[in-house]
Formats: sequence, structure tokens, C-alpha cells
Amino acid sequence: MIDVSIILAGLGDAFSLTNLLFVVAGVAMGQFVGALPGTGPVMAMAVAIPFTFVLDPLAAIAFLVGVNKGGLFGGAIPAILINTPGTPDAAATALDGHPLARKGKPVKAMKMALFSSVTGDTFSDIVLITISAPLAVVALKMGPVETCALMIFAFSIIAGLIGDSLIKGLIAAVLGLFFAMVGLDPEHGTPRLYFGYFELFDGLPLTAVAIGMLAVAEIFRRLANIAGRIKPTISIPEKQEKKDKNVSWAEYWSCRYTMLRGAVIGTLLGAIPGIGSTAAAFMSYASTKQASKEPETFGKGNIQGVAATESANSAVMGANLIPLLALGIPGSIGAALLISAFKIHGIQPGPLLFEQQGRLIYGLFGAMMMANLMNLLIGQASLRLWTKIISAPESLVFSSALILCITGVYVSTGGIFGVAVMLVFAVMGYLMNLFGYSVVIFIIAFFLGDKFELSLSQTLVILDGDLLAVIHYPVALALLMLALVSTWWLGIHAPRKSRRQTRDSSLD
Amino acid sequence: MLLDRLSGIFFAGLGLLLYFVIIPEQTEAVDYGWMRPQSVPNACAHLLLFLGIAQAAFPRGNISIDWREMLKACVFAAIMAIAIWLMTQFGYLLAVPIFAGCLMLLVGERRPGWLIGGVILLPLAIWLIVVPLLGRPLP
Repeated sequence: MIDVSIILAGLGDAFSLTNLLFVVAGVAMGQFVGALPGTGPVMAMAVAIPFTFVLDPLAAIAFLVGVNKGGLFGGAIPAILINTPGTPDAAATALDGHPLARKGKPVKAMKMALFSSVTGDTFSDIVLITISAPLAVVALKMGPVETCALMIFAFSIIAGLIGDSLIKGLIAAVLGLFFAMVGLDPEHGTPRLYFGYFELFDGLPLTAVAIGMLAVAEIFRRLANIAGRIKPTISIPEKQEKKDKNVSWAEYWSCRYTMLRGAVIGTLLGAIPGIGSTAAAFMSYASTKQASKEPETFGKGNIQGVAATESANSAVMGANLIPLLALGIPGSIGAALLISAFKIHGIQPGPLLFEQQGRLIYGLFGAMMMANLMNLLIGQASLRLWTKIISAPESLVFSSALILCITGVYVSTGGIFGVAVMLVFAVMGYLMNLFGYSVVIFIIAFFLGDKFELSLSQTLVILDGDLLAVIHYPVALALLMLALVSTWWLGIHAPRKSRRQTRDSSLD
Repeated sequence: MLLDRLSGIFFAGLGLLLYFVIIPEQTEAVDYGWMRPQSVPNACAHLLLFLGIAQAAFPRGNISIDWREMLKACVFAAIMAIAIWLMTQFGYLLAVPIFAGCLMLLVGERRPGWLIGGVILLPLAIWLIVVPLLGRPLP
């Protein structure tokens, strides 16, 4: 039974002035960084996480949620203005957003992106708030055998991220699992793979690994790509007509079904770990185009195209937290980063969160709704400001980002060792990207690795080594069946279908 | 295709190295319990060997490496390693501006205003936020 006093206390925490300020700061930072091509909310979160170490848990999580939400919209700004998506999620937005900008309506396109982003996000947050607590209650009934089956299911959903090469995806997952084995083993408590570094007894720090592979590796790549004259990261048109700057209520209302469709697609895909917002945006765009009476206008500056993609990719964010909060499984790289923020504050994500940290979770829900409102207000007020500020040169932006990574990891890991670990994993992440091995799969496997080993060890003790005895655990059996089905669906059926569609469209 | 095969061979070799050298040296031999300290690491080593061979035999993907870009990225990583060492020797306030200056000059930034911003103002601002304001130590 949900305790109403906890919900009210959590919401009260969320709406305090301090948290409001952190949400505002997070949204503003997210919009700004998301607007820088090639950076995006993941890098912004990775850089910001260590600095949240000194904050209260709720203020820290609220700040990061703000960064993520702001970043998802911010990514649309360069997509619309210069046809260079700030984030992969915004790639579909460029399809109609940039043609609109070329017609002299860049601000109108950006405002439509903002409104539909906030609409989609709010929809998925409401779904998250209503569904995650009951799901966590179910998850609490599970013992070690069911937890082990859940971990196997979590590994199976990695199949959805594998992409072109099954073998490369599996290698990335195995590597992630292997690096998770560094530190004390869960059954005997003996140290392993620590090479004489006592700092590794607790395992490799997730923050250093994630920031190294996601942020630092990408910064190295971007710095190495700068050639010749240093460019501003973005440029904006000088003159725009007044009537082309605003989105009227009639225009917004005409997109209601498009936004609803996008929000539903984004929420459904976001709740399935590993699918991601890019897929949601393209799927929503395709279905809107298919349902439209004027499909030929898509790709030429149809405002419905912007509404479809932005509502879908933003709806993924809230839904991504459903598996994270209810089951402790990160649904996306943003969610995996949020896990490291939870861990910095000594909080273990999973079904017990609602029981042990109910106030924090309802505070988080309140902060999410507040972040949506702030996203709208800050976005409205500062669209032109962001486009001016982000014309800073790449040399300054990326060197600053590297300094922030070093400082942040030093603060969060409490020493220079964490910074060295970050550098090692940055090089590894760079090479993995170069050779086509997924860094995202690596990090998700790395995060799940030690929990998988612990639950497997407990399961073997309970079953006395007889794995067939799992048939006496119907929930575990159902999860294992689900793992098989999702492996087939996400790893074999969906890629095959996508390849067939690509082949057919190339023949057309 | 050749690079794809080579990456497969690398991972197969890594699997062998882990199984025969690193895991035996870096884990304690325990002879009881269902799960030993080396059980999962050994399974990973076997999988890497098997998957590496599969990748070498049936390569998929089309890697194209810009060696110039890769070399530049290596230089940036090396500079960062030196900066980390400098930080342990001379402290944050000396090492970080040198690091930022090297990076900005290497990518071709010559405008004094932006250089001052990146080399002096930004590191100083971060230090002021972290040390006096947040109360966290920096080297």
C-alpha cells in the first residue's frame, strides 16, 4: 500500500527553492550543451555527475534529470539551424526542421520542437509515475533465483543494441562483464584482477569508466577532427519575419494527434531497455508520414514532422526510468549514468528503492514534472540566447569539457587513480568506437556484471548446483523464456526485418 | 575487412592471455563452493576466444580508419596522461592551465581572447567552484 504521507513529503522536497534552482540550472545546462553539435545530454550528464557528489541526493538527481531533459530539446537546435543534430536523437528532427529553417522559419521550427518535446516528455513522466511503483511491488516478491533470471533477461535485451554485427556486440558485452569482475569476488571475498592496486578492491569506479568511454573518448575524436580554421560551433540567420517566429495555438492543436502518437511510441520503446530515442523518433516520423494526407510535404519543411520526432524522442526519457526504478536495469545510457549518480550517494536502484527511499523517488517524480515546466519556460525565454552563446569556438568548448571531466572524476573517486582509470577507458572507448564495438553495450554489461555474478552464486547455492531445479520457480522460468523471446526478437527478427526494409527501399 | 579480421584475432589472443596468464596470476585458487573467484572471468576468457575466432573467420562490418585522426587522438591522450602526472607533482592550478593551453594551441586556436578564457579564466573558475565553494580538495 502506498503511503500518501511519503508521496506528499517527497513532492514537498521536490518543490523546495533549492531543488527548483538545481532543476533550473540543470535544464539550462542541458539545453546549452545539447545545442552544441556532437556533445549532447549524455556528455553533459557524464561531466556533471561527479559535481553532484556534494549535493543532497534529491538535488543531485533533480539536476541531472534537468540536464537530460534540457539536452533532449537542445539537440534539436543545431539540427534545425545547421542540419547537424546536437544529439543522435535529434537526427530525425533535421528532416523537416532544417527545411523549415531554410524557408526563413528557424525560430518557429525550434519552438514547435520545444512544445512537442515538453508534451511528449510530460506524457511519459505520467506513465512512469503511475506504473513504476506497482511494478516494483511485483519485483519485491522475487528471490535470488528470480533475480538471477531477471539479470539474464537484462543481458538478453542488450541484443536490441547489437546493430550490424552480432559477434562484435557479444564481444563488447563479454568485455564489459569481464571488467566488472575486478575487485572482491562475491562468494569468497577474495580480491582478484587488481594488479596490486588496492584502490581496485571495490572494483573499477563506474563514474570513471562511463565518463572515460562516453565523454573523453568522444572529445578526443572531436579534437582530432578539428582541422584548419577554428569554427564557431553554430551560425544563425540574421533576419526572420515576425509571423514566422511563433507557433500559434491553432498550429499546436493541429499537431495534437501527431504528438500523442509520438509520445505513445516513445513511451513504449523507452520502457523496453536498449531501444533508444533515435529509433522512437524515426518510427514516429515514419508513422506520421504514413498517416498524413500530404505525405509528399514531409522532408520539405512540414511542422508535423518536427512535432512527431521531438515528442517521440523526449517521451523515451521518462519511460527509460521505468526499468531503472522498478527493476534496477538501466534502459539507456542516460539511465546508466543516473545509476552512477545514485551510487555516488549510496543508493542502490531497484525495487527496494520504493520501500527504502520512497520519499526520494516521489521527490524525483516531482522534480521531473518541474523540469518539464522549466524546460518550456527556459526554452521559450532563451532560444536566441543559446544560439548566440553556442557560437563559442570548438577549441574552447572541448578543452573545457576535458578539464571538467578530470576535475569531476577526481572529486567523485577521491583521488588521481580514478582519473587515470578514466583515461585508460577513454582510450579503450575510442578504439572500440573506431573498430565498431559498441561502448553502450560494454557499459550496460559492466554495470550488470557484478549483480549477475552475485545472483548466480546465490542461485547455485539455493538450487544446490542443479540448474534444472529452476522449473520449481515459475517466475524465474517465465523470465528465462522472456529472455529467449527477446533475444530472438531484438537480436534476430528486428535486424533481419530492418535489413529487408533497407534492401527494398534501395531497390525502389 | 582485414581490420575486422585483425580485431577478431586480437580478441581471441586476449582470451588466451587472460585464461593462461592473467586470470591464474590474479585470482586466488579456491577449491570449494559452486562459484569460484575465477569461474566468471574464465567463462569470459573462453567466450572472447570463441567470439574472436568467429570474428576473424566471418568478419562483418567495414572499418575505415583515418590514421591521421587516430594519431592526433593518441597525441591528445598522451598530453592528458602527462597532465595527470603533472597534477600529482605540481598541483591542479599549474597542470590544468598548461594542459588546456597545449590542447587549444594544438588544434590551431591563436586568438588571445579565447586562449586567455580557456587557459586562465576557466581553470580558475572551476578551481574556485570546487575548492572554496564546494569544499572539495583538488591536487
